[in-house]
Amino acid sequence: MGSRASTLLREEEIEEIKKETGFSHSQITRLYSRFTSLDKGENGFLGRIIKIPESPMCRRVVVSFREDQVNFKGFMRTLAHFRPIEDNEKNKNPPTSEPLNSRTNKLLFAFRLYDLDRDDKISRDELLQVLRMMVGVNISDDQLGSIADRTIQEADTNGDNCISFQEFIKVLEKVDVEQKMSIRFLH
Amino acid sequence: MAALWPFPLLISESLWACLALTLPDGYPEPHNGPPTAGFNYSHVDPSVDQPSALRVFSLDYHHVQAPFEIVLWIMLASLAKLGFHWSGRVPAIVPESCVLIMVGLLVGGVIYGVRHSAPPTLSADAFFLFLLPPIVLDAGYFLPGRLFFENLGTILWYAVLGTLWNVLGIGLSLYGVCLLAPSSLGDISLLHCLLFGSLIAAVDPVAVLSVFQEMHVNEQLHILVFGESLLNDAVTVVLYKLFESFLRLPSVTGLDVLVGGCRVVVVGLGGLFVGLFFGLVAALTSRFTFRAQVIAPLFVFLYSYLSYLTSEMLHFSGIVAIVTCAVTMKQYVEANVSERSNTSIQYFLKMWSSVSETLIFIFLGVSTIQDIHMWSWPFVCSTLLLCLVWRATGVLLLTAVVNKLRRNAVTFRDQFIIAYGGLRGAICFSLVFLIDDFPKKRLFITTTIVVILFTVFVQGMTIKPLVELLGVKRKKRALPTVSEEIHSRVLDHLLSGIEDVVGYWGQHYWKDRFEQFNKKYLRRFLIGEHHQTHSSILRVYQEVERREQQGVEETPPAVDAHSSSRPLLPEEMDSIRRILSRNLQNFNNKQMPAYSRHTLHQDLTTDEMRKPLHRHQSLTERCTYHTITYCPQRVDGEFSKSCRGRARLSRSHTVCSASPRWSERPDSLVPAALNHTQPSDPGPAEEEQDSPQRRTQIERATKKQLSFILENEKPL
Repeated sequence: MGSRASTLLREEEIEEIKKETGFSHSQITRLYSRFTSLDKGENGFLGRIIKIPESPMCRRVVVSFREDQVNFKGFMRTLAHFRPIEDNEKNKNPPTSEPLNSRTNKLLFAFRLYDLDRDDKISRDELLQVLRMMVGVNISDDQLGSIADRTIQEADTNGDNCISFQEFIKVLEKVDVEQKMSIRFLH
Repeated sequence: MAALWPFPLLISESLWACLALTLPDGYPEPHNGPPTAGFNYSHVDPSVDQPSALRVFSLDYHHVQAPFEIVLWIMLASLAKLGFHWSGRVPAIVPESCVLIMVGLLVGGVIYGVRHSAPPTLSADAFFLFLLPPIVLDAGYFLPGRLFFENLGTILWYAVLGTLWNVLGIGLSLYGVCLLAPSSLGDISLLHCLLFGSLIAAVDPVAVLSVFQEMHVNEQLHILVFGESLLNDAVTVVLYKLFESFLRLPSVTGLDVLVGGCRVVVVGLGGLFVGLFFGLVAALTSRFTFRAQVIAPLFVFLYSYLSYLTSEMLHFSGIVAIVTCAVTMKQYVEANVSERSNTSIQYFLKMWSSVSETLIFIFLGVSTIQDIHMWSWPFVCSTLLLCLVWRATGVLLLTAVVNKLRRNAVTFRDQFIIAYGGLRGAICFSLVFLIDDFPKKRLFITTTIVVILFTVFVQGMTIKPLVELLGVKRKKRALPTVSEEIHSRVLDHLLSGIEDVVGYWGQHYWKDRFEQFNKKYLRRFLIGEHHQTHSSILRVYQEVERREQQGVEETPPAVDAHSSSRPLLPEEMDSIRRILSRNLQNFNNKQMPAYSRHTLHQDLTTDEMRKPLHRHQSLTERCTYHTITYCPQRVDGEFSKSCRGRARLSRSHTVCSASPRWSERPDSLVPAALNHTQPSDPGPAEEEQDSPQRRTQIERATKKQLSFILENEKPL
């Protein structure tokens, strides 16, 4: 950890991030120190952070940062998706665009976990990859295929055998995504 | 049918009347301190005249008196419970506890009327030593563990601080009331008020359980109220004993108060450690029971009861001990003993706790009819009012603080239910009898009874409509679709990853650490070897988890895209769900069914993975198809047409199972895999027991689509 002079966070950056993501000042500084501790090189980019977590989704998480190298802004932007939704936010200042932690954006983030090739559709193969990653080696391919088929079939309304984002939203309408995808960042 | 239900009741009551008439006139004096033996009449010899000659027929009641009476009481309780379930619309409006108290009142009235003396009362010893432990053990054994530990901080917060707040508030304000009415209430000292406050403030687990289980509120709310009622015992016990000992001391110093404060901690932790100790010993013992499987359930009960008695002996909190013991030993015992033993354990627990609870309520009713009452309008009314007020303010304040630290805030509606659902019950009642005698003791007794009756009747009856009126979030009923399940798991994984990235030591982290410790040391020590090799599905799941954590990632298989757009048959749907629940990593599964008093539906995760139950009867018989899937309260829309899912099992007392039975089966589903040699009882209770033997007889189905169903049933 420690302070690296070249990567000190400047005030205007903090303000920018604050406006964009909605984090508070102290949260940003704390996350910054976490970011620097994860940082392997000296130039402020996150290297491979595969080592840290033990969950199988870690690689996907890295991919979901959406660039090969991630800087602090991207890091914060991604983490902003996981802020809990607070009710009073809507009244305080009506945002020009939708805040990053709205339900739709959270779902979009989740959608992009599946949709690696960014064609805005989850194809059967992509679904299978995710399933395989989560389920492991114990299930045969046929079984997994059936499960994937079933998943697509439940969601697919226009018959193209892929799940579009709208269909994805619809499928998850009963799931409490706001709570599932929230981390309480300490102030 | 519904009209017939009063008859068993009348029969039992007439039995009682007869007994009351024929028995001699001895009875315990209720005025002098606590009544002694709860059930016995005094033993003046009945008039058995010495036979001068041989008699053909003689009656010797005296010989069997004690057990006979006990059995009669239990019989009355059970018949009343039965009658309650048969009566048409009553269960919807009136909770069971109310009806039982009313029956008790009736019986008490009958006995009083017939014998013109007080009926037997519930002795504190009988209550604390015999009636309470089964209920608490049952509660602890079926405690939804994950949910409980997730909310443990909040629960402790409510239990300890909330109870303290209530006790001090009620005690002090009652003292104020007494000061205001010196004529009638002048001789009640501050300590007496505090003592009274300590026993009346505690929320009672028995009453809470019996009312809440009919309400089906969301699990979080349920566990908060219920957990609080369990854990506040430590505080109550300490405060009660503290004030009681203060009353005996000539003077009270600040040091005594400090010592009292330390005692709270000691009592709670002591109960915890006693429970842990006995739980671990029980788990270890169960490891060796495979050669004498029939007595395995006995160990569970013995060790739990022993932990309760030990901690009572040491003046620790017995409830905390027994709950801890049950929670600790559950997973190891379940892994070690056979299926049948498991079922026996659960069934007996349910049965005993049911009987206990019924008896408690009936006795509450009976004991109300006494000569002992002393009424005082200001005292009683102010007590009632203060209980409500202090609880409400306490909950509000505490929740305001605790919401800042929780992920899922406790909403206002939930808070209202928590405050309103603070029912008092038999614990207060027994405690009030234990007070040393002083002039106003009868007033205390009366007030306690009034408060209990008020909370159970008024609050118990109105809480259900209020829940509906306020729109409190109810338990989810619908079975999640496969998509929902997969996506939810993906999100859980994702969240866990993000938590790691952020460096947030949330619940996942500590849970992981505990699981590692558990796996490395505890399980190896406490679970028998041959059980560890014959894995339950749980072990496979852990194996998968371990491999995944080593970063094994397979390339996506080259699957030919057969577009199966036909709707999947429900059995396939079923087994898909089962596969998913077994093999997907499982984090916060918030869709767990809430704990219910009267059914045995268990934890979705571990239990489903333990019991893949999927049987086909052979073709020669009528092809019925049994499956035990999820808990019956989730009746899936897809199943509704062809299945007779038991929707509301909260009223039934069977082992939980949803058995969709289909009289006609489609031809394609014919893998006559499992042959029943004894198709005897297609009742649900048998299903779980026979499955392990069936597992070995599986033959492969020919149909490709269904092959995966059976493959996963293989012993792994």
